[in-house]
Amino acid sequence: MNVFSEIQTWVHQSFDTIRSLGTPEFPEATQSFPIITDANSKRLFTGLVLTKNMEFVDDLLTFEELGKHLKYQGCHIANLSSPDFTAKNGVGGCLRSLLRQFLMSSLDPADISILASWYREENCNNPVVVIIDDIERCCGSVLSDFILMLSEWVIKIPVILIMGVATTLDAPRNILPSNALRCLCPFEFTLGTPAERMDAVVEAVLVKPCSGFIIGHKVAVFMRNYFVSQDGTLTSFIRALKIACTQHFYTEPLSVILLEFASEEDNLVLEIERYGLSPEVIWKHVFELPSCQRVRLNKPTSESLAHAFSELKRLQNQWRAVVLCLYVTGKGEKVRLLDLFCEAIDPESYNQGEFDTNMKAEKDPVLSSSRIKGHFICKAVRLVRDLSTAQLGNLLKIWENLTVGIPEINGKVKELLPLLNAEDGKSSKKDLTVTPRRHTSRIQLNIEKDSKSLSDKATNLIECMVRDYMHPTECIPFHEIFCFKDADKLRLALIGDPRRRIQVDLLEFQKLLCCRCCTSSSNALLPSMHDTSIMYKLAQEHGDLINLHDWYQSFKSIVLCPNSKRKPRQSPLPKKRKGIKEAESQSEASIQARFCRAVTELQITGLLRMPSKRRPDFAQRVAFGL
Amino acid sequence: MATEESPQVTRRATRSYSASNTAIESTNLPESYKPTINDLGFRQQPLRLEDLLSSFPGRRSQILELLRLLGPLNSPMFPILVYGGPSTGKTSVTLQVFRHLNRPFIYSSCITCYSPRILFESILNQLLFHRKDSGHSYSSVKRCERPSDFVNYLREALENVLTNLKGNSGKVSSKMSGRPDGTMVYLVFDNLERIRDWDKSSTILPFLFNLNDILKMPEVGLIFISNTSPDTYYLNIGYVEPIPLYFPDYTEDDLRHIFMANQTNSRLYASFLDVVLRPFCRVTRQVDELAAAFSSLFKKYSEPLSDKEVAPNEEMKRRLFSHIRPHIASALNETFQVRSQPLLKAETNEETKKTNSSRMLGIREDFDKIDFHMSTSAKYLLISAFLASRNPATLDASLFDSTGVSDSRKRKRNCAYWKNFKYSPRACYNLTLEYMGI
Repeated sequence: MNVFSEIQTWVHQSFDTIRSLGTPEFPEATQSFPIITDANSKRLFTGLVLTKNMEFVDDLLTFEELGKHLKYQGCHIANLSSPDFTAKNGVGGCLRSLLRQFLMSSLDPADISILASWYREENCNNPVVVIIDDIERCCGSVLSDFILMLSEWVIKIPVILIMGVATTLDAPRNILPSNALRCLCPFEFTLGTPAERMDAVVEAVLVKPCSGFIIGHKVAVFMRNYFVSQDGTLTSFIRALKIACTQHFYTEPLSVILLEFASEEDNLVLEIERYGLSPEVIWKHVFELPSCQRVRLNKPTSESLAHAFSELKRLQNQWRAVVLCLYVTGKGEKVRLLDLFCEAIDPESYNQGEFDTNMKAEKDPVLSSSRIKGHFICKAVRLVRDLSTAQLGNLLKIWENLTVGIPEINGKVKELLPLLNAEDGKSSKKDLTVTPRRHTSRIQLNIEKDSKSLSDKATNLIECMVRDYMHPTECIPFHEIFCFKDADKLRLALIGDPRRRIQVDLLEFQKLLCCRCCTSSSNALLPSMHDTSIMYKLAQEHGDLINLHDWYQSFKSIVLCPNSKRKPRQSPLPKKRKGIKEAESQSEASIQARFCRAVTELQITGLLRMPSKRRPDFAQRVAFGL
Repeated sequence: MATEESPQVTRRATRSYSASNTAIESTNLPESYKPTINDLGFRQQPLRLEDLLSSFPGRRSQILELLRLLGPLNSPMFPILVYGGPSTGKTSVTLQVFRHLNRPFIYSSCITCYSPRILFESILNQLLFHRKDSGHSYSSVKRCERPSDFVNYLREALENVLTNLKGNSGKVSSKMSGRPDGTMVYLVFDNLERIRDWDKSSTILPFLFNLNDILKMPEVGLIFISNTSPDTYYLNIGYVEPIPLYFPDYTEDDLRHIFMANQTNSRLYASFLDVVLRPFCRVTRQVDELAAAFSSLFKKYSEPLSDKEVAPNEEMKRRLFSHIRPHIASALNETFQVRSQPLLKAETNEETKKTNSSRMLGIREDFDKIDFHMSTSAKYLLISAFLASRNPATLDASLFDSTGVSDSRKRKRNCAYWKNFKYSPRACYNLTLEYMGI
């Protein structure tokens, strides 16, 4: 992120400034009385990073990454957060945490002179950066004490503060007293909003050719909704993306070729054998992919496959270029890349669009623009129409750069550029030559018309780009290898349903355990089963209240009597069971212990509530159904 | 906070110091550095009295008074309390006076030493020439938490130091070897006002003031430096009151002298000070605040000049003044705002109120202006708070009080008032939607 590098250069600049005030020698640096230089020497350089009230998790991660980034550049880093600045611990708390991070040991009387000695023992050519996550959550008096203390030592220990501010720049003013504020020499940095950061992530990972991995439309929509419902937490989105990636690699055997696919330029040579797979199996797998079935290939050979892959790559590159063009167009007007991406990747609207093109002969530009799918793409296209000539010129140049790899589009963009230059010349000529007033209006009219036609042409171009070159990945054969489409799986992995999972596992434990004894008879309860499992199955037969005595008796009967087929409805009769002599081998106590343990486990998993005082004999079931 | 600076002298001092000492110090590795008795002094070239006086404009009488109170070499003294507003030169003057006298002293700032234990240990460390380093895992020389322990250790350490000092006072060449003069040790406590917050000043503060009587060592001098006047310390509890020494705020002329010192283009800076000093003096006379404000302002002031060395004439001054004028107002405001915190808070509160009211009128456009991310739940909370704020008190009671409103008479009276505020659910919903910018 460029904010990081900005901060980094600022850190080094301020370090040099501190250095220029004088570098004390060892005895001087550790002495207790202050080194007196001029008035500015007591000021702490402070970077106020406006986080714009990001989600807490994002916040933490951002500052952690900032710390890593700066550490990589050779700074000493300590991350402090609001729990270090509580009124209870006072200034000692934050100093202790500071020392712990720098010295890797905790010392009882946390004293800043220790830090000074430490800094002298290190080679003192690196700045000390203290990052405070969120100053609004810190206790103001402690923070101000901390700042005052650091400012007394700033020559001896060149500390540079970086503070996260969630709301506005007024925040430090509201928190800190004036004598602490006086010590600060603040600089402002602004992090992007979640949406902007999001766009950056999407652009880097999904749109730019980085790994070749891509997500399907359903997954994209799901992830977008997930992002929105999580209040724009970037961390959750990235996690979702990672999970999607992992699951894709896990399920799709051919995804191993992704790396080569992404790295190699053209003429992908398949070396499946390298991965220890037999080519026959692979080909069978590849040519049975649904997308391949749709487009009948003549014969499944290596050549045709390679050809299909290069075709896929070509189409993908085109798609990428168009999406980026659209994104650049809509950037100023809050068209989000994620929304664009979701629309651009939608295969249905594309198919539909194709259908429309076949049906209609395009003549009317208005009609054609209405035909373009999607709300956001439409918006971006409309924006092109409204641009002024200069803006259009800039835009076209950007497009030209973006489409460098794709000769078809690039040629068309290049065709437009000279027109633009001609127009520029005309308008500049108009400025220079003094024309009679009567003519001016007409010329202006002319120019307007020209620019109108130019922007029309540009609009046509982008429409044509969207129509002809934006093939969603899901419409291309063999896309399954690269594209993750299973939104349900992702949802399951992301959101999960632990209680349901526990219940299922308890009821169908055979699937997990795979032991020989239980598989044969699927429904009957056997003593060899797991205790908790037996208990839970027994509990299924009760209502929301379970009589503990009955429950125990049935449990005991199952455990004691391996051959008896259980009849769940009536609770087993104790006296009948008592007659069985072999029961004596197992003591009553051990069964009770097992019973208790199973009940506790059920309680811990949240399936059961323990007996209350009012009804000591009954346990209550909490979870019903799956 | 009480540190004040004299740019001229100190710059020169640091330069000469680094020049003279690098040759000696560079041979010593920092790890092998062992502090000696010399560390009790200032370790720099002693300052002559004229230099001392000239480096602190407007502090002549205070310096002479302090010198008088400290007395000649090896004379016992009463404790001194140096006090005055922040940034009036208390710490600097005291330190430089010791540099001038070249006498041993122990300095401890109560900002850095934020608890009694650290204060005590820091003093003992200095007296026993102990330095924290990784060799003994940065520990202090002695663990000392209670004042009584501290007195014992302190007496021990002081006696040790004094014999050491006496041992070498016999040698004539003490000045040459950089050893501090005399057989007195001075303890300087800076930022004394901080101690009042430690443990409600019940023990430590009287203890420190009483230290002179407790130790009963004439060779120890105590100097306290404080932001606040002696009245704030309840000094009349039966021990010798320290002699107060007041540092008044600088006058405008003093400030001019301070800022004129060490300027490269003195005439340009003088014309700059002519413009800015008077308005700023009305707001603040603290040197550090002024220095911060002036450094940025002067940059702006000399911006239009291509040659920074040029001496300005009248015409140029006028142009520069018109150039700087808008900046002065804003900078003035800035210092002022930072200084008067409560006033600022009131202002911001008003502002927020204003924005809130405007938000109600023009909800849509204001929503776009919020430049930070707000979570959905936070938005809903705000809406509910807003709705609740519009409720009359009786409704609050009937909604949230478990007993309900018992006073029927009151209810009746409020009935008419009530009707104005009735919300249909639809209206609430619309408001919500509008607020959310949906």
